[in-house]
Formats: sequence, structure tokens, C-alpha cells
Amino acid sequence: MSGEDCDGMDRGDNDGPKSDKMFTLKKWNAVAMWSWDVECDTCAICRVQVMDACLRCQGESKKDSYGKQDCVVVWGECNHSFHFCCMSLWVKQNNRCPLCQQEWSIQRMGK
Amino acid sequence: MMSLKPRHVDFQETWANLKETVAGVVGLKAVDRIVWNTRFSDVYALCVAHPEPLADRLYDETRNFLEEHVASLLERVRGSTTLEQSDHNDGLLDRYVSAWREYSQGVAYLNSLYSYLNLQHVKRQKVSDAEIIYGTSATVSCPEQDARQLEVGELGLDIWERVLVRPLSAALTARIVSALHAARDAPPDPRHADIIRQAIQSTVHVRSFRVRSPLALYEQLVLEPFLQAAGEQHARTAAHLLQEGDVAHYMKHVLAGLEREVSLAQRYLPASSREAVRACYERAAVAAHLPALHADVDRLLAEASADDDDAPQRREDLSRMYQLVRPLGPAALRPLVDAALAHAQAHGHALLSSALQHHKDEVHIHFVEAILTLHGKYSKLFNEVFGGAQAFMGALDKACSAVVNSRSGEEACRAPELVARYCDWVLRRRPAAAPLTDVDDKLTAAIVVFKYIDDKDIFQKHYARALARRLIHQLSYSMEQEESMINRLKAACGYEFTNKLHRMFTDVAVSADLNAKFQQYLRDNDLTLNTGFFIQVLQAGAWPLGGPTAPLAPPAALERPAGLFEQFYRSAFSGRRLAWLHHLCTGELRVRYTPRVYHLTASTPQCALLLSLERRDATTLSEARAAAVLPEDSWERHVRPLLDIGLLLPGADPDELLLNLSFSCKRSKLRLCASPGHGAAASPPDPPQHRDDDRKMYLQAAIVRIMKQRKVLRHTELIQEVVQQARGSFAPSVAIIKKCIEALIDKQYLERAPGALDTYSYLA
Ligand SMILES: [Zn+2]
Ligand SMILES: [Zn+2]
Ligand SMILES: [Zn+2]
Repeated sequence: MSGEDCDGMDRGDNDGPKSDKMFTLKKWNAVAMWSWDVECDTCAICRVQVMDACLRCQGESKKDSYGKQDCVVVWGECNHSFHFCCMSLWVKQNNRCPLCQQEWSIQRMGK
Repeated sequence: MMSLKPRHVDFQETWANLKETVAGVVGLKAVDRIVWNTRFSDVYALCVAHPEPLADRLYDETRNFLEEHVASLLERVRGSTTLEQSDHNDGLLDRYVSAWREYSQGVAYLNSLYSYLNLQHVKRQKVSDAEIIYGTSATVSCPEQDARQLEVGELGLDIWERVLVRPLSAALTARIVSALHAARDAPPDPRHADIIRQAIQSTVHVRSFRVRSPLALYEQLVLEPFLQAAGEQHARTAAHLLQEGDVAHYMKHVLAGLEREVSLAQRYLPASSREAVRACYERAAVAAHLPALHADVDRLLAEASADDDDAPQRREDLSRMYQLVRPLGPAALRPLVDAALAHAQAHGHALLSSALQHHKDEVHIHFVEAILTLHGKYSKLFNEVFGGAQAFMGALDKACSAVVNSRSGEEACRAPELVARYCDWVLRRRPAAAPLTDVDDKLTAAIVVFKYIDDKDIFQKHYARALARRLIHQLSYSMEQEESMINRLKAACGYEFTNKLHRMFTDVAVSADLNAKFQQYLRDNDLTLNTGFFIQVLQAGAWPLGGPTAPLAPPAALERPAGLFEQFYRSAFSGRRLAWLHHLCTGELRVRYTPRVYHLTASTPQCALLLSLERRDATTLSEARAAAVLPEDSWERHVRPLLDIGLLLPGADPDELLLNLSFSCKRSKLRLCASPGHGAAASPPDPPQHRDDDRKMYLQAAIVRIMKQRKVLRHTELIQEVVQQARGSFAPSVAIIKKCIEALIDKQYLERAPGALDTYSYLA
């Protein structure tokens, strides 16, 4: 199906029955799933799945069920990943990755 | 003018004068103010007399005088009465009370005339009350027997008891008891009532100054004889009532009798005696006949919960029984509670078995309504009849729980699935022509039943699956209702129970915003799509969406929107992976080659299959599979619906599919996707093995959470905390918790603390 055909279709709920096409696609209801792009889906510090809020946030969000949004994942230069909450507490005591013992530095943050 | 200086005093002369006044005071004769003052000084003078104080002599003479005086009163009271009889109207009580009024008042005046003696002479000898009570002066003879240590007013009362009451005690008791007995049936006139009250009151007042057992005389003279006689009387009445009629008749009269007895005590006896009077009645009329009462409980319960005209009457009977039996304590009440439980439970099972006979499409409605009927009916009954007492409400809970969680044979309990389906039925969008009324009430009802479910974790799975379908396919009646139901579940079971449900709900809310941002992104970048587009982006881990699906190639028409959206998503977020769930996507197609336009809602594979027929009239299954248009197991889900409505026709070769060029259908809107709503809530329950694995995972997570926080914990405490945490979902056995602890020790999350076998410590 070419681009111009599609554009033509997009204009019209009012295109008449005399269209030369057999079928037209009016709308697509898509469903997708996202997950953190991590190698290991469990946070080695709190041992909770990274898709779930960390233990601490779970404890605090007992009142507020939407607390989850803020508990993101952080990747180190070593490419290991943890809850950001967990890692920020960890580095206060030991500035090394708990999995590979390399010095910890943040490569990127989940958002 | 009186002199305060100690001087020589002639005792005989002073006492002679004083005695005359004392006689006047005690006899309530008028005493001139001047004379009173002079005598007051005389008392003082005698107490401080020189060289020897004369207080002891004065005290002795006064006592002698009072003893003589009371002896003469005794004669006056006795009169010509025959003491041995007990007619309370023979005048003895009248005379006793009139003498008592005069004397008790006179003695009170006398006490103030002797103020100085009381203050200076008696006080010194008086042993402190504390010493009497706590016995530090135990070696001293009991002070109350040594009359010298009484004030003059107290001395007067003591003499009254010794000289007048003792000889008359039997006669007084007989008359008071018989007067009370008569007053029970017919209240006497006010004057007589007053005499009875004052006679009783005098036995209290005479010893009111005593520290030790001030009520002993009252109890001995009035209360005990009264209770003795009353107990016998009540027993006779009770036996008579039981012979006369049935238990209902009996209870009605006994309850009235109890009220009468309590009111009798209120009118004539000190407040402290009321309980004893009530207990005496209850012993004779209720406790003694408890088996007869208990024997009727089952029948009364059955008739009280029936729907006929006699039921209100029986409820009153039952309520009377409760009022009568309750004061006797939990043991006496037990048979009522047990019967209530058994009765509600039996009724519940009957309701349940008829509910379960309904067709599978509506059995969930009948199930919830049956439990609700049970709960409503008996909470109303128990509130009305038993005042909503905790014991009975507890029995109702037990009955409901037994009915809800009952299972037939080896079959799993159906409640978790049925209640979840009920919720789905209530929360689902429905045609405007057939709206559901009282949605709120129905959700409240669902919670009532839900609370009784033991396996709440299984309910949660069913609920989550149904919620996922409603949200993804936009089948919800209203998002407010969805949220309010999740909040109700959270209120009942806590955050953890609804955590994933909340996250699903949140994803849907966030998706609305995401679509708006995507459209803005398209406008900002001058991009257009070739179709309408709406997307829901779900977070992994929160949705119960089954196993992984084979990768599918979306139809070419969808490549552009999918690509643009991925581009937008990468720019808006970071660190995220996005996967298309083609088996959940739907497309809206128009069929244009027919005389009439048809609107189809179809799954992505269906769309792909139909769009591949754009330029030709036939295709084959193997071809479609090879192009990854159709997933392997797609016949039932995707192809069959197209054949069923006749849009495709089977070819001569079983592999071949032909487009029906002369397609027609009555409806113009057709939904082809393996219909997400229908029967989907009835998807087969997890096999028990699967369920056990889930519970082990849950328990292990709970143990890790607890140990992470506590670091070191004893075995029993850990078990307790785990049970506590799991309670909202299911009731774990200790054995399974132990297995989970072992597993965590193997995985080196925990270790046994060195040197303490029953203690675990957390390994960070
Ligand atoms: Zn963590
Ligand atoms: Zn966190
Ligand atoms: Zn690392």
C-alpha cells in the first residue's frame, strides 16, 4: 500500500461507497508493553523486580498507590542497573557497583 | 458568763441539771436557747474539772441514761403485740418507725450538745480508721466493742441496736419481709410505703458510722431473709408458669416478673442490693430452667426466620429469651449462639445449592445474591433479636464464611472466580437500552461477599484478568467505578493486594495523555499517519497477559504509525524497551466492495489477512503463516470468525481461503476479534500446582521483605509476621512457610544465626 493511498484514506469518513479499494483501515487500536531495558530484571540491592517500586518506595506508598511513577532505574557505566533509590543509598557507603565492584558512575537514568 | 478556767465542779448537781435537758433533747421536747447554752458549758466544765476531769463519769452516766431511755422506748414499740406473728399491719412497724424518727433525731441533737466531750475526750481515745482496717493495732481489743470510744451520737445508735433492735429483730424481719412480699403484688399506700422504707433505712443508719461492714445489720435483718423468701417464691412461681403454658408464655411472664422485682428493689432497698435481688430472681426463674429454655431455641430460630405471619411473634419470643439468658454469662448463651450459627449455615447452604444450579452465564449473579440474601437476612434478624451482640454477629460471619468457601468434593472452591465474574459483570459497559441500576450498591455487595473469601489471591487473579480485558478493550462502564472498586478492595485487603490493579489503572490514565502528546509530536514535526491511531502502553509486570506471543508482522499499513510512535516514545523516555502486543491490537476496517459499507473490528492478524486480499481473491493458510501474518495457532481465534460470518469462504483445497465477493450481512457493524468479553472471564482456573507456586513466590518475597527490615528474627516471630502479611490474600500453613525459609537459606538470602538454631539473619 503506498503513502498517497493512505493519505487519501485518512481524510475521509465521508468517502463514498464508490471507493476503488476493497478494504480501508480506519483506525488502529494498538497495545504495547514497556519495560526497563535491563539485563537482569531484579534489583540486586533490594531483590525486588525493577519494574516494581523498590522495597522502600513500596513501604512508603502504602498510602499513595501512584507512588510507583517516581521509582526509576539507573544504569552504571558497567551497564548494571538498579533502582535509583537503592543505588543512591548504596553509594553513600560504598562507591562501587554491588555486582562487579567497579567504581560506580552513572551512565543513564530511566525516565 | 461562763468561765473557761478549770474549777471544782459538783458532779451530782451538774449532772442532775444536764440529765433533765438530755431527756428533753432525746424526747424532741423544746429546749430553751439559754438553757441549751448553759448545758453546753456544763459539759465543758465537767470535762475540764479540777482536780480530776469528770469526762469519764459524764460519759458513763449518759450511757446509763440512754440505755434506760431506749428500754422504755422498747416497751412503747412492743406495746401489746404478739411478737411471734408476722402481720406487717399489726402496728409494730408503725410504732418502731415513729420511735426511730424521734430518737435518731434526738440523738443527733444530743451529739452536738456533747460536742466538747466528743472532740476532746473521745477523739483522743479513738483508734484511727486506718489502724482498724489494716490491723496495726490488732492487739488492741476491737474498738467498736469499747463504747467509750464512740461519740455520743454514735453511742446512742449503738444502744438503739443493742437495747431495742436485738429483742425485736425476729419480729421486725418477719414484718419487713412480709411487707415487701405484699408490696411486690400491690403497692401499698404512700404512708405505708414510707414506713417500710424507713424501717429498712434504720437498719442501715444504725451502723452507718462503722468502718467495718456497715451494712451487716441490714443484710442480716432485711436482705438475706428477703432473698431467702423471694428465692423460694420465685421458684414456686416459675414451676407454676411452666406447668401453665409453653416456653413463650413462660418467658413473657418471667421477664415481667424480673422487671417487677428490680423495681421493688429500687423502691425499698439500698442501691447496692439491686444486683443481688436481680441475681436471686434469675437463679430461680432462668438458671434453674435453662434446659427447658435451650430446648426451644432451634424451633424459635426456625420460626423467627420464616416468612409467615407468626414470625414477628417468634422474634419477640427469641428476643425475650436472649434478654433472660444473657445476664447468666457466655456459657448459658452458648447454645443460642451455636444454634444461630447452625441455622444460618444450613440456610446458606440451601441458598447456595439452588444458586449454583443456574446457567453458567448467570451463576455468578445468583451466587453473590444468595450470599447477600443470607447476610442481609440474618444480620437483620440478629440485630433485631439479639441487639447485634458480638457473639451472634461473629456466628453470622462464621456461617457466611463456611458457605462462601464450601466446595463440592475435590472441586476447587468457586467463590473467588464467581465473585470476580460478578464484579466484571457490574463494571462492564452495556447497551444503553439495558443499563444496570444501583451499580454502587452492587459493588458494595460484592465487597461484602469478597470479605468472606479465604483464597483472596485467587480472586485477585481472576479480577486482574477481567480488569485487563475491560481496560484494554475499553469495555468499562466508567473509569470512576473502576477506580472506586480498586479502592474498596484496597481498603479491605491493603496496598499490596491492589498494587498491580492500581498500576493497570494508572497505565490507562497515562495512555490518554500519551496519545495527546504523540499527536502533538506529529503536528510539531509535520508528520501525518495513514490511519486513525490510538495506543495503550502498559507496564510489564503489572498485567496478567499470558505468555509471550510469537512475533508477528503487522500489515504494511501499520508500519508507519508503529514506526512513528516508537520514534516518539524513544524521544519522550529513556531506558525503556517497547514491545507490540499484536494479539491485543485491533483494527477498524471498512468493507467497500459490497453494495453496503460494513464496519469491521478485527484483530491485527485478521486485518493483515484481509488487507492481503486487496489485489486478489484467494490466499492459503500456509502462505499467511509463512509471511508471519498469522500466528501458528490462529485458526480458532482468527480465521474461524471470518468463515463464520461468511466474509471468507473455504476453498476446494482445505488450505485455501477465498474472499466472498457477494458478502452480505444484516448488521453493518461486526466485531470479529476473538471476542474478548464473551466467556473470557470464565477462562479456566489456574491448576492447583500453579497456584501453589504463586503462593510460594509471594511468601518468599514477604520473608525477604521482613528480614531485610529486621535483619535478625526468631523463627516464631518470623512465622507470625508472614502470616500477618499474607492474611489479606490467603492463609498460609506453617509447613509451607518453613519450606520457603529453607529455599531462601539455599538461595543464600538468609542464614541460621550462628549459635542460635531458632534464629535467622538476613544476608545483604
Ligand atoms: Zn532496588
Ligand atoms: Zn524506590
Ligand atoms: Zn556493575
